[in-house]
Amino acid sequence: MKSMTNFLSAFLSLFLFASLAAVAADPPRYRVEVTYDPNGFLQPIFVHVTGLSGEADSVLKNDLLFMGIVHKSPDEARFLINANAAGVRAEARVTEKVTKSVVHEAAFTGSAQRSAVHALSDSIAKALTGLQNIAIATTKVAFKVETGPARSEVYVADYDCFGAQAATTDQTIIAAPCWAGRGMLVYSSYKQGNPYIFSHVLSTGARNAVARHPGNNYSPAVSRDGRRVAMILNKNGTPNLYVANIDGSGLNQLTRNRDGDACPSWSPDGRTICYVSRAGGGSPALYKISASGGSPVPLRTTFAPNPTEPDWSPDGKWIAFTAQIRGFTLFMVRAEGGEAIELVPGEDPSWAPNSRALMFCSGPDHNKRLSLLDVPTKTVKPLARILESNSQPSWAK
Amino acid sequence: MKLPLHWLTIGLMALSLGITGCRKRPDRLTTLGGTGPRSIVGDEPSNPFGTKPFEGGTTTTATPTETGLPQPPGDWDNPAKWTRNPDMFRDQTVYFDFDKATVKPSEVAKLTEVARRMRTMPGHALKIEGHADERGTEEYNRTLGDKRAQSIREFLFKEGMNPDMMPTITFGEDKPAVAGHNEAAWAKNRRGELVLLVPVR
Repeated sequence: MKSMTNFLSAFLSLFLFASLAAVAADPPRYRVEVTYDPNGFLQPIFVHVTGLSGEADSVLKNDLLFMGIVHKSPDEARFLINANAAGVRAEARVTEKVTKSVVHEAAFTGSAQRSAVHALSDSIAKALTGLQNIAIATTKVAFKVETGPARSEVYVADYDCFGAQAATTDQTIIAAPCWAGRGMLVYSSYKQGNPYIFSHVLSTGARNAVARHPGNNYSPAVSRDGRRVAMILNKNGTPNLYVANIDGSGLNQLTRNRDGDACPSWSPDGRTICYVSRAGGGSPALYKISASGGSPVPLRTTFAPNPTEPDWSPDGKWIAFTAQIRGFTLFMVRAEGGEAIELVPGEDPSWAPNSRALMFCSGPDHNKRLSLLDVPTKTVKPLARILESNSQPSWAK
Repeated sequence: MKLPLHWLTIGLMALSLGITGCRKRPDRLTTLGGTGPRSIVGDEPSNPFGTKPFEGGTTTTATPTETGLPQPPGDWDNPAKWTRNPDMFRDQTVYFDFDKATVKPSEVAKLTEVARRMRTMPGHALKIEGHADERGTEEYNRTLGDKRAQSIREFLFKEGMNPDMMPTITFGEDKPAVAGHNEAAWAKNRRGELVLLVPVR
């Protein structure tokens, strides 16, 4: 009997030692527990934020929203975020409401309080979701701003449209800005008469011609690796899809259909281009073609009439686009095609790097504004308008 | 020497409690690089776009390729070479049906008139400017305006005009002729405008 007692005593103490040792070896680590909806999007995580006011409070909550974390009442929240912002510093402690365990703590300083709060938002989102690529709070967007009749420039801003600055002063029409990496823009400008496509290094303002062929050169789209540009050129008599290197060399004509093509968008792996064309002069439809050339393949977008402006999500799974039902409506379809899912009224979607949020525009012509959309919850946040009309957003990846 | 087992137990437990007693406090103060907003509008070098403009069309043929008539290279927008006269053919602006780029029968007479008058003006060129109404999306409309200008150009080619003297441009929905959000306005914006280019001598 005594040996049995000894054995149990030993077992218990070893077990206790092992479990305490496991706890003691690192700080208590939050085990990420998230769920996904039927479309593969993270289900929102409910939190309750305290300790901030004014700009810091709205910036943090807005950032978190588009990373799948929603501020709710204490009753509904699973995590409590106790934050503080003063001067150029922002910090927070995140605890699990029921267990009271601390799951994340961080502090940041930046050039301004707003940038410190954005960094804090990113760190909280990564900790709660366990996903590195969820973080978008410090990303940028470029978009077209109408500055007068037949006048537009490219502006660059934080993803929430704060701090917008003109990148161009061409005093002509500039259209379809897109990013090559995070430091360079590519767009079409009418500065020399016809539309030509230029690359533009943001830090220096240096520009180079990507496409200056006879006729019209427009609708550029840059591959994710920044090396190639897809575009619409009419140099051979019909607006068709072409691909070239980012310096303009190596031009290759991909399509030859006489009805014309529009709106190219790259797959994230750089192998396929989705674009708009017509089947025999009929209404517009989406197609895919190999970026190195081949036959166009129709992309089924059932329930979405007249699809245009496709934008391929960075994770490769979805193609968002504009359809026309009583006005413009955003839809998305799986990259293989199929039944399109209706999102919200609006046009010209551009996915966030986290493949969860997107930016779009809406409103009457020459009076449009940009908005953010959290795709799985269909939460829309309209953004501040710069001058008269903002459109053609492009989210830097 | 054999330690009593219960002493070992107590010893281990005490050791465990001793370790867990010291909780590490994460100190992750992170300072971000901050340089403030930088100017992102650079100075324009004197020739920012690099390449020299082409001279007037010498290399394109008048034979349609499988994708239509090639665009003529040329310095069409250089006021030292060409003077724009948008009034000469203002009455011959061609109108199109919604989402279509084909020249309607009702518009044909305008274009035969344009061809006739151009034959009396040797050495003159014709810039064809395609437009769309606001009801398509922006870049889709840029392609549509482009197609409309090309359709007019191909029609005029069949009327005997030299395609090398007919550059085209598309404005999509950027330059409406008539403001308004109704069919009366839209019908006036779905158009191709014909601008005479007079050679500067």
